[in-house]
Amino acid sequence: MSGIDRLTERFARRLARGTSRRSVLAVLGAAITGAGGFPLLPVARAASSAPGAPGSRPPMLSGNPQDPGDQASCDYWRYCAIDGFLCTCCGGTVNSCPPGTEMSPITWIGTCINAADGRAYVISYNDCCGVSSCGQCFCNRNEGDRPQARPQSNNDYNWCLGTQSSIYNCSVAAIVGVADKAK
Amino acid sequence: MRITALVLSLLLGASAVSAQSPPPPLPEEALPSVGRLPADYPASWVLVHDFRFLSILDGRVAVVDTADGVRPLKGLVRAAQFASMQYSRGRREIFTAETFYSRLTRGERTDAITIWDTATLEPKGEIVLPGGKRQQTVSYVGQFQLINGDRWALVTNFTPAQSVTVVDLDARRVLGEVDLPGCAHVFATGPRGFSSFCADGSMISVQLDDKGAVVSSATLARVQDLDNQPLFGNPAMVGRTAWFVSYKGQLKGFDLSGPVARPLTPASVGTAPGGAPEWRPGGWQVMASDAAGLLYVLMSPAGREGSHKDGGTEVWVVDPVRNQQLRRIDLKGVAGSITVTREATPHLVVARADGQIDLFDAASGQLVRQLGATAAMSPLIMVPAQ
Repeated sequence: MSGIDRLTERFARRLARGTSRRSVLAVLGAAITGAGGFPLLPVARAASSAPGAPGSRPPMLSGNPQDPGDQASCDYWRYCAIDGFLCTCCGGTVNSCPPGTEMSPITWIGTCINAADGRAYVISYNDCCGVSSCGQCFCNRNEGDRPQARPQSNNDYNWCLGTQSSIYNCSVAAIVGVADKAK
Repeated sequence: MRITALVLSLLLGASAVSAQSPPPPLPEEALPSVGRLPADYPASWVLVHDFRFLSILDGRVAVVDTADGVRPLKGLVRAAQFASMQYSRGRREIFTAETFYSRLTRGERTDAITIWDTATLEPKGEIVLPGGKRQQTVSYVGQFQLINGDRWALVTNFTPAQSVTVVDLDARRVLGEVDLPGCAHVFATGPRGFSSFCADGSMISVQLDDKGAVVSSATLARVQDLDNQPLFGNPAMVGRTAWFVSYKGQLKGFDLSGPVARPLTPASVGTAPGGAPEWRPGGWQVMASDAAGLLYVLMSPAGREGSHKDGGTEVWVVDPVRNQQLRRIDLKGVAGSITVTREATPHLVVARADGQIDLFDAASGQLVRQLGATAAMSPLIMVPAQ
């Protein structure tokens, strides 16, 4: 990969962070932008009704009342803009990749409202790469998803970029900050 | 007791057989034996790109006879790791643009176009793509296009820097690379060029010389409103006119026969009661065309912000030139992708979430055949063979 590519990547990453945060704050509460990996459609629904998908496993709770919800469920508050297999179901956690994978340095950012404290948090949806599709807990939301001409708002791209391998495994949803002045 | 009964029945059976003259034995069968397809696929055949979500690195293209309810799957071509696919009837070839690692998931990366023979489904050639930067995404037809009379191919790159690699398929070599900052997808345009959608809502048209270098470019401003009327990525082609539909049902056509895309008068899929909150296009390959130039659009009754990949339950048939909704086809369930064959009696091919493929009479809207989930796990893009 050329130096120019690396520079472009860093630029795009900053762009994604800024744009995503602004656009999401503009719609507050609606969540949005995509994450790493892919969508998609009824495929997501079919997967979610399969054994091992959310609903057929015991809830995965943080134990912290300020971080409520089932981290293996697509409804968990941090997943408001995620797209892919949930790493919590793949050997990782909500903020760490499964062993044997590599976390993508280029991330997708969403802003999600935590109902427990009413704050808007900036969530980083890093992809975990280098191991084949996890296949568990597929989760996809497309509010705010836009065509690929606007990459920072499209969740169909494979965001395993800048990693040794572009093979996609799963996505995490880590808190990287509180959105500035949520309203 | 049971064993005694079994022995008895076997003895009786044996004596019954011996009472008649035995039939000749089944003939020996020649081995090895490998199937072969007609090089020119019939009009009922469709190429189905199976993205294979649960093992993306093992995607494939299924060659499917939609008229064969017994053995619809005729063969498979590899389409690995967020691959894209093209088909040239004239060349009798299928093309896949793929990415590989030397140790399956790790090791040295190779991006390449593989050329497959339509009759044998064996690889005829390969062109390695430089830079390890082929765009990896859920499949769009605009990632990979054939131009220049199917002699050249264009492959989009994304690192996330955007560019297009120009490939000479006949000479089996890469001609060059065109930078395309801020623009995504390419659609064959004019004698030897492409058009692409850009982040500011414009469309750029580029023509290449016989060495693959840019000789001209022109930009059409404001062809789409990415915030309020974004266009689905996969168009329906009517000749060399590409029709796109917006998330809210607006139809935009571009005549791509000349060196610069020419926008046509916009149309609409129309409206219908019963939506909650409203009908909108939904799915992956949401559009198809028939030989008469009518458009088929997959529609969801639960249209809202974010529903555009949820699939649809009806197909609306629209005349885009007269801007008229002609009929609605009830799909009896949710579907993700559609296409229409060029048979004498055209069929609407409908791919569902679980891989099931159903055939409807495109004119009457009647369900005529169900192939079951017999061809692909994640059917995303379907290309009629004729």
